[in-house]
Amino acid sequence: MQKSKSIIITGHSVGGTTASLVSLWLLSYLQQTSISSPLSILCITFGSPLLGNESLSRAILHKKWSGNFCHVVLGNDIVPRLLFAPLESFTSQLHFLLQYWQMSMASPHFAELNTQVLAKEVKAELFLFVLAHVGESARAERSSYWPFGNYLFCSDEGEICVDNAKATVKMLRFMFRMSESGDYGIKEHVKYGDWVEKVSSRFMTRRVVEGEREYSESSYEAGLDLALQSCGISRQVSIVGEAKECLKMARRLGRTPNLNRAYLAIELSKKTPIRAQIEWYKRCCDESEDQMGYYDSFKQRGASKKHSKINMNRIKLATFWDEVIRKFDANELPHDFDKGAKWVYTSQFYKLLVEPLDIAEYYRTNMHRVKGHYVEHGRERRYHIMDKWWRAHNSNLEENNKRSKFASLTQDSCFWARLEEARDWVHDVRRERDGRKLTFLWENIHNFDNYSRRLVDRKEVSIDVLAENSSYSRWMEDLRDLKSQLHYFPQLPGFFDGGMVP
Amino acid sequence: MKTMEGGRLGENTGIREELIRKACSLALKAHKAASDNKLFVVEKSRGSAEVIFCFGGSWSVGDWFTKKPFGETKISLDLFPSLRSIGNDQIAVVNEAFLKKFQLILESTTLRNEVEKAVTGKMQIVFTGHSSGGPLAILTTIWFLEKYLRAENNQIQPLCMTFGSALVGDRIFSHAINRENWSSHFVHFIMRSDIVPRIFLCPLSSIERELQPILNFFHKKSTYFNQEPEIKPHQALSFFSMVLRNASSVTSHAACKYMECTNLLLEKLTNFIELSPYRPFGTNVFCTKNGRLIVLKNPDAVFQMLFYSLQLSSESEGKEFAQRSLMEHFEYQIELEESLGMQDMVHLDGVEGIPLFSNRGAASELATSNIALNDLGLSTTARLCVRAAGELEKQKLRNQDKIDGSSKRKIKEAINLLEKYHMDCELRKTSYYDAFKLQKNKDDFEANVKRQELAGYWDEVLSLLKTYQLPDEFECREEWVELGTRYRRLVEPLDIANYYRHSLNENTGPYMGTGRPARYKYTQRWREHALNLPLKSSLESCFWAEVEELCQGKFEEMKERVLHLEGEISKWVCDKEIGMDVFSEGSTFVKWWRTLPYEHRIGSRVARFIDC
Repeated sequence: MQKSKSIIITGHSVGGTTASLVSLWLLSYLQQTSISSPLSILCITFGSPLLGNESLSRAILHKKWSGNFCHVVLGNDIVPRLLFAPLESFTSQLHFLLQYWQMSMASPHFAELNTQVLAKEVKAELFLFVLAHVGESARAERSSYWPFGNYLFCSDEGEICVDNAKATVKMLRFMFRMSESGDYGIKEHVKYGDWVEKVSSRFMTRRVVEGEREYSESSYEAGLDLALQSCGISRQVSIVGEAKECLKMARRLGRTPNLNRAYLAIELSKKTPIRAQIEWYKRCCDESEDQMGYYDSFKQRGASKKHSKINMNRIKLATFWDEVIRKFDANELPHDFDKGAKWVYTSQFYKLLVEPLDIAEYYRTNMHRVKGHYVEHGRERRYHIMDKWWRAHNSNLEENNKRSKFASLTQDSCFWARLEEARDWVHDVRRERDGRKLTFLWENIHNFDNYSRRLVDRKEVSIDVLAENSSYSRWMEDLRDLKSQLHYFPQLPGFFDGGMVP
Repeated sequence: MKTMEGGRLGENTGIREELIRKACSLALKAHKAASDNKLFVVEKSRGSAEVIFCFGGSWSVGDWFTKKPFGETKISLDLFPSLRSIGNDQIAVVNEAFLKKFQLILESTTLRNEVEKAVTGKMQIVFTGHSSGGPLAILTTIWFLEKYLRAENNQIQPLCMTFGSALVGDRIFSHAINRENWSSHFVHFIMRSDIVPRIFLCPLSSIERELQPILNFFHKKSTYFNQEPEIKPHQALSFFSMVLRNASSVTSHAACKYMECTNLLLEKLTNFIELSPYRPFGTNVFCTKNGRLIVLKNPDAVFQMLFYSLQLSSESEGKEFAQRSLMEHFEYQIELEESLGMQDMVHLDGVEGIPLFSNRGAASELATSNIALNDLGLSTTARLCVRAAGELEKQKLRNQDKIDGSSKRKIKEAINLLEKYHMDCELRKTSYYDAFKLQKNKDDFEANVKRQELAGYWDEVLSLLKTYQLPDEFECREEWVELGTRYRRLVEPLDIANYYRHSLNENTGPYMGTGRPARYKYTQRWREHALNLPLKSSLESCFWAEVEELCQGKFEEMKERVLHLEGEISKWVCDKEIGMDVFSEGSTFVKWWRTLPYEHRIGSRVARFIDC
C-alpha cells in the first residue's frame, strides 16, 4: 500500500467471497484513514457464491463502491446461485461437489476423468431445487442473500455487465435456466481459466450478428439484441422477451446524469425564493423586540400566517434535498456530483439555515420524548450526507482565523440540539442523587459549556444564540443559578469541589 | 442521415485534386530531405499560386514517445494561445516529441521567413506531411492560424493535408480547433489498415520491444525506398495485436461515455488501464483500397473507426493483416492516384443514421453508405458506436437549442428587472451595491431572489459546458459572450455584496480567492478570448471585492493596490464599464476613499468623480 497506486484483489469460488471481504475491509479502512485516498481498489471474483444480504448491497451502493466489484459468472455455473436456496438437505452432496471442484482445480484432467461425481439424478435434483429458489428470488425480488457490485455474465457469444441488483438476480435465473440439459452447472465452475483465454483475444475479430433479419434498425433495440446475443439468450425463444425487459430495466432510461445535474441547477434556483424568505424571517426574528432569536421564535411560535409559511418552506426544501440525495444514490446524477463546489456550498448553507428549524420543530412537538434526543435519534439522513460532502470538500482547509463579527449562521447546525440535551442535564442534575450518575451529568454539562463558550468566543454562532431571551441565554442563567445554589448549600449533591466537577 | 454520394473529393472539400496528388508526393519525398537534416522543404512551382511546405519524419523511438505512458505534455500557450477550453480553462495536451521538433524547426530554420514571404505574396499556403511528418505540418498550420488569422486578422486561408499521420493532440485540442472553426483547414488521409494513425492509442510500455524495429522498417522504406525491408512476421503480429488491444480499450471506453453509461466500474477501470489521451480532429478521409474515399467530419466517429476498421474477420488473418497494416502506410500515393480519378466519394454526415447491418438496404438510399461501411469492415457493434458518436453531437445541438430558447429568454427577463433595480438606485442617488448590501427594502429582497434565479440559469449552462455537452463553438458565440458580459457587470456586484454582507470572507477567505462563482469566471474568460485580451484583464465586475478587501487594511501597506485600483477605475468609467452610482454619497467606496490620507486624495485620479 505504501508503494502502489492500485490494488487488484481476486478469488475464485469461495475465494471470491474472501476477496470481496478483504476489499470491503480495505475500502472501509481507507475511508477512515484518509478522506480522498489515491489508492484504487478493484475486486474481481470468478464464480463466487453470494456474500451478504440486501442491506450490504444497499450500503455498498450508497458508498459508491459498486464500481470496485466485478463478479464474473460463467454460463450456468451453479455456485453463484447456490445461496438463493436453503441447502440443509443437500449437505452431503455439497460436500462431494466441493471436493470435486477442489480436485479439478488442482489437476486439469481430473474433471474429464471423474464426470460421475454424483449420480445424474442427484445433480438434476439439486439443479432443479436451486433453480426453483433462484426463480422465486427473482420474482419476489427478495432473498436472504443478495448480489452487489457489477456482474459480468459470460457465454460463448460474449459478455454483458449488469450493475443493478434486481436485474442481476433475474439474469442469474435466465442464464441458469437455459441449459437444463447440460451438465447442471457443475463443470462450468472450473472453466474460468478457459474463458479468460478466449476473451482476451476477442477484440481482434469483428463480431458476427446472427439472424440479422430479426433485428431492429433502432440503436436502442439493436443494442439490446446484441446484449442478449452476448449472453447466449437470443436463441432461447421462451425467455427472450422477459430477458429483454430485464435488460431495459438495468439500463435505466431517462435523462442522462449530466443533463440531470444541469436541470437540477434550474430546480434549485426555483427554490431560492423559498430559502430567501427563511433568511428574511431569521432576520426579522433576530431583530424583533421580544429578543427570542431565530430558534426560539420558531419553536415557540403561535398560530400565525408568517410562521406557518416558514414551516411550509422548511418542508418544501426538505423534499427538494431528499430528492437530490435519492437521485444521487440511484446513480441518476454524475458520480462526482458531491465534489462540485456549487452543490457542496449550497447544501451546507441550506443545512446551517434550516436544520435549526428542524430541531425546533422536533423539540416543539416533543419528539425527543418519543424517539430520544435529536442528534442521536432524530437527525435526517440528508444532514449526515451533507456533513460528509462538506468534510470531504474541506478536508485540507486549515482551521479558520477568528472572526471579526458573529457569523450570519451558527456554524454547527446541531448547536440547538446539543443545547436541548444540555437543558435536560441541568434539569436532571437538580434531582439526581446517585453520585456516579451525577459525575456523568456534570461532565456533560461542563463539556457543553466549554463547547458553547468556544463557539461564542470564536464568533462562530449567529447573534440569535446570544439574544436576551434565547434558550441558550436562559440555559446559561439556569446554570449560574444552579452553581450558586450549590455554593450556598454545599450539602446538596453535585458539589463541585474538584472531584465531582472536572 | 445525409450522404453525399459520388462526385469527386476535390469538389466537396474545395481542394483541387492536382494539389492533393502533389502534396502527397512531396510529403513522401520530404523524408529523404529530413534524413539529410533538412527539416522542411518549400515547394513553389513557377507560375503557380501555391506554396507547399513539406515536413519529413524521424524514426527513433524518442522522436515519437518522449516518455511513458503516451509521451504527452501540455501545449505551450505562448505559441498556441487558443488551444485550450475557455471556460473550463483546460489546456490541450499534445505529443511532446512532435511539439519539441516543431519548436526546433520554428527557432532554428527559415520557416518564419518563408511563411512571411508566402503571406506577403498572397499565395495559397499548404502544409503537408506523411507519417511522423504529419504532426509537424499540423502544428505549423495551427501556429499559422494563431499568428495570421487570430492575432493579425489576416484573411489568408491555409490548408493542411496529412497522409497516414500519427495522432498529435487530445480532445481539448480537437475541441479548440473546432471551436475556432479551423477544422476545415485540415484534411487527413488514412488508409483503412495503416497502423500509424493508431499507434498513439497504445502506451509505449506495450510496444517497447517492437517499436524500434518497426520504425527502422519505416525509415528504410521511406528514405531509401527499399522495397523489401525485413520485418519478422511474429514481430509485426505482436505489434499489431498490442495496438489493436489498446485501441479497443480506449475506443470502447469513449463509446460508453458517448452513451452516458453510468456504471461506476467504468470510472474505476481508468485507474487500472492506461487510456490514450489522443484523439483525431478535422476532416478525415478514409481510403478503402478499392477506389472509394470516405469523408468524415465527426472526430468521435473517426475515433471509433480507427479501431473498428482494423478488426479482423477471423483470427487466422492475423499475420497477413499485420503485415498489411505496415505496408499500407506507404501506399497513399498509389491509392490516391487511383481513387481521385474515380467519382467515388462517400461523404458521411449525420452518422447517427448509418445503417446497422451490412446486408441491409441494398435498394434504399442508404445503399452507398452501407457499401462504404462494409469496405471499412464495420460490424454492427462498430456501427452502434459510430452512431452513438453522431447521437452525441446531435444531443449537444439539442442542449444548445434549449439554452438558446427558454433559458436565454428567462435570463434576459431577469437581467431586465435587475437593470431596472439598478436605475431605481441611481435615481435615489444611492449606490446599487450598498442598497443591496443593506437589504432594507422589499425591492432589495426581490433583487436578491432574481440574483439567485439567474445563478440557476447560468449554472445550468456551466454544468453543460463543464462536461462538454454543448457544441464546441458555443463559447465563441457573440450573442452569449455579450449576454455573459452584461450579466457579469450587472450581477456580480450583487454577489460580492452578498458575500461581504454575510462575512463569508471570514469563512472561506476573500471573494476573489475561493468565493467567486464560476459563472463569472467563465463569462469573463469568454470576453477576454473573444476580444483577444490578456487573461484576467477584464476584472471590472470585481471592483467591489477589491474595495471590500482594501477597506480592511491600512493605506500604507496597500498603496500599490490603491493606486492600481484608482487607475483601473478611471479607465472603467471612461469605457462605461462601471456605473456612476459607485460615487454616490455614502457608498462603501466613497466612505472608504475618504479615509485615505489627504495628500493621496488631492492627487488621486478618481478625485474628480467625488464631491469633496
